[in-house]
Amino acid sequence: MYEPDPAAQFIHQVSAGYSLPQTLPQYTFDETPLRLTDRRGRGGGGGYGGLGGPGVGGAAGRSLLYSPIFSTPASANTAGVVGPASSTAGHGHFNFHTTSATTASALTSSVPATTHHRSSPPHFAIQKMEPTPEDLVAQEAAAREYQPQLEGPFVGEKTPSTAITNEYAKADPIYIQKTAVLPQTYSHYRPIQGDGNCGWRAIAFGYFETLVKGGNKGQIEAEKRRLEDLNSYIETIGGHSQYVYADFVEETFLLLDRVAALIGDPEQAMREVYATFNNSEIGNAIMYHFRLLASSYLKGNQDTYAAFVEHEGGVHGYCSSVLERHQVEIDHLGLSLLVDVLLKPVGFVLKVAYLDRSPGSEVNSYHLPEEARDRHPSTLGPIIHLLYRPDHYDLIYPVEPEPIPEPVNVQVHRVSFSPTFDIASAPVAMPSYGINMGVLGMLPGFHGPPPGLAPTLLDTSPSPLSAYSPSPTSTWITSPFPEPPQQAPPVSVQAAPVPMSIPIHTAPAVAPAAPLQTHPLRFSEYCQLPEYVENDTWREPSFQTSTFRNSHFNVAHYNNPNFQPEEYRPDAEDYDAPQRGSGKKRASV
Amino acid sequence: MSSSKRITKELNDCLNSPPPSITISLPSESNISLWHITLTAPPESIYSPGKFGLVVQFPPEYPFKPPTITFATRIYHPNITNESNGSICLSLLKTDNWKPSTKIVTVLEAIRQLLVEPQPDDPLETRIAEQYKNDRKEFEKEARAYVGRYAKGPVKFGTEAGAAGGGGGGGGEGAQQQQQQQQQQQQAS
Repeated sequence: MYEPDPAAQFIHQVSAGYSLPQTLPQYTFDETPLRLTDRRGRGGGGGYGGLGGPGVGGAAGRSLLYSPIFSTPASANTAGVVGPASSTAGHGHFNFHTTSATTASALTSSVPATTHHRSSPPHFAIQKMEPTPEDLVAQEAAAREYQPQLEGPFVGEKTPSTAITNEYAKADPIYIQKTAVLPQTYSHYRPIQGDGNCGWRAIAFGYFETLVKGGNKGQIEAEKRRLEDLNSYIETIGGHSQYVYADFVEETFLLLDRVAALIGDPEQAMREVYATFNNSEIGNAIMYHFRLLASSYLKGNQDTYAAFVEHEGGVHGYCSSVLERHQVEIDHLGLSLLVDVLLKPVGFVLKVAYLDRSPGSEVNSYHLPEEARDRHPSTLGPIIHLLYRPDHYDLIYPVEPEPIPEPVNVQVHRVSFSPTFDIASAPVAMPSYGINMGVLGMLPGFHGPPPGLAPTLLDTSPSPLSAYSPSPTSTWITSPFPEPPQQAPPVSVQAAPVPMSIPIHTAPAVAPAAPLQTHPLRFSEYCQLPEYVENDTWREPSFQTSTFRNSHFNVAHYNNPNFQPEEYRPDAEDYDAPQRGSGKKRASV
Repeated sequence: MSSSKRITKELNDCLNSPPPSITISLPSESNISLWHITLTAPPESIYSPGKFGLVVQFPPEYPFKPPTITFATRIYHPNITNESNGSICLSLLKTDNWKPSTKIVTVLEAIRQLLVEPQPDDPLETRIAEQYKNDRKEFEKEARAYVGRYAKGPVKFGTEAGAAGGGGGGGGEGAQQQQQQQQQQQQAS
């Protein structure tokens, strides 16, 4: 009759289907089973005929109002949500009687089951579901007092943007792809608290930061004069009393003054901006000043913007319920207004990178004002970069042009897949290659390869390649040669023709230089010199020549006293192959 | 900026151009964020000639959070809870609708208007709202009875309001004090 599904699944479906308000208080989930058990007592009298029957349905609906699933403050939602609940109540009884399940969990699981079977219309015995006034008052109070827990400062420290990549490492593939390439373009980001003001706060902070970076005292003073002139605009066009906006505006001017005074010391000035924005009173005031600017600008330019206002209250409704309300997020129109009134006159450009699930391998970027998109970046003024993730804005900072990095960083840059550094590091990789050649030169009897021997060697000794190059992958990636793997084999060829001096003489010479690697080839105990064993500097030579392979020093040789036949291990070869394959692939990136 | 700066300005604004039928007093000179307001019901409302005490409490985050305004005098009204510490359902004052640029004068005028024109479609007391919609005569009778019982004579605020209520007694008084304290704590936190 039913398949018990996890109750959690049902909760998800309900919250998705009815879109509970975000300010929903967090109830504990323990109540549902209790209430259902409660209902069982009632059902005992009425049999299972309580399928929306007046008494049972009403009681069930009311009690379910307290369960986390159905607690919605809005009465419209309440009616819609409670309907199916009442229908499940009847089935709950039925299941209870037939299966004699007494545990609360069994009852709970019956709820999703019946819902799956019957996609019953929500208006099932609605009039019985009216919550009592006390319920509404309690719910409203809970919703009113609910405060989401927000962590961190209002404006965070500049952080490497790889943190975003890590944050999305387990997310949707599109996010993974987009965040993986994000650090190429944007090296740092600055987290902004998600309290509903983040867009306003980010732009306000970016405005001051850009002024500090500009280092132009005259510009800052001009900005102050310009904003002072806009005060009358807030008053006449925006319709706000002087005493209301004066407090907000004053804080903006004070910060402009402090920044102007510290113009010679950008670091100190940034510390000042940072501290100011993390003071909730002052930061909020500056932000609110900018909100008032945007709202007044909209009221004063209705011809331009009124068509974009999507609000039932029109321009004034939009101003008072979106722009002028604290902790209401900025939308696209708000962005345009703020750019036009605050950033455009001073020549700043806003660039928003959208990190969302839209198809593509990189974040989509959007310039404000729009005409900035078609102009070359060098002709634009300073750019404030924002990173938009659904419902949230952070500040991001593009990679600054840096001097050619130090060679030691080659490995790090490989990880970041930065194309700039690939070119730069190519010459770095080659000298290290040359060092290995030098080590080879120390081998006694180091000669050019006998021509006839080479093909055989190439076939029989694939592994030394990795032994001679400390970081083969990086060499391949950065090497300018079209076929890097072919570049390496000659090394083994040159090493090959060491005549009969193996292993005693060659091993000490090579072993310390070669990277520590386990090798399928092991020397017998007779080959180990005591001093090396004692010093613990002895390592099995990690190279292999065909001369040696075919001698009785090889344990695989039947003449060796410790003869040990070689096993056929297809895995060993397979293990080698992908490394090369991936190396080639990466090199072409 | 601090909240007291703005509150001072709001107070001056209210004192310089007082809204009709509203008088403002500060219970404590040292605490500017607690106002006592005497609201005389407008003559066109059924609550006339009642005088109602309102308590305005400004949170420390003001103006970024709305002030809390409660009726210290009991009133029979669909949008005001029927208790000695009546909460007001006024959309202007809800956290979701509050604007830092809203003036207190505007809020007080809205409350005054609420006495003239209750909004039964957005009720706090559903029973009274039903009555207001379906049985206006009975509602008006009850409302006038409340005015006669509670809203005559000098307006009492806070702890004294319980005594004015008569039936409340000592227990109600203590409970009300506690409620207020809780509210203040919530605002502070």
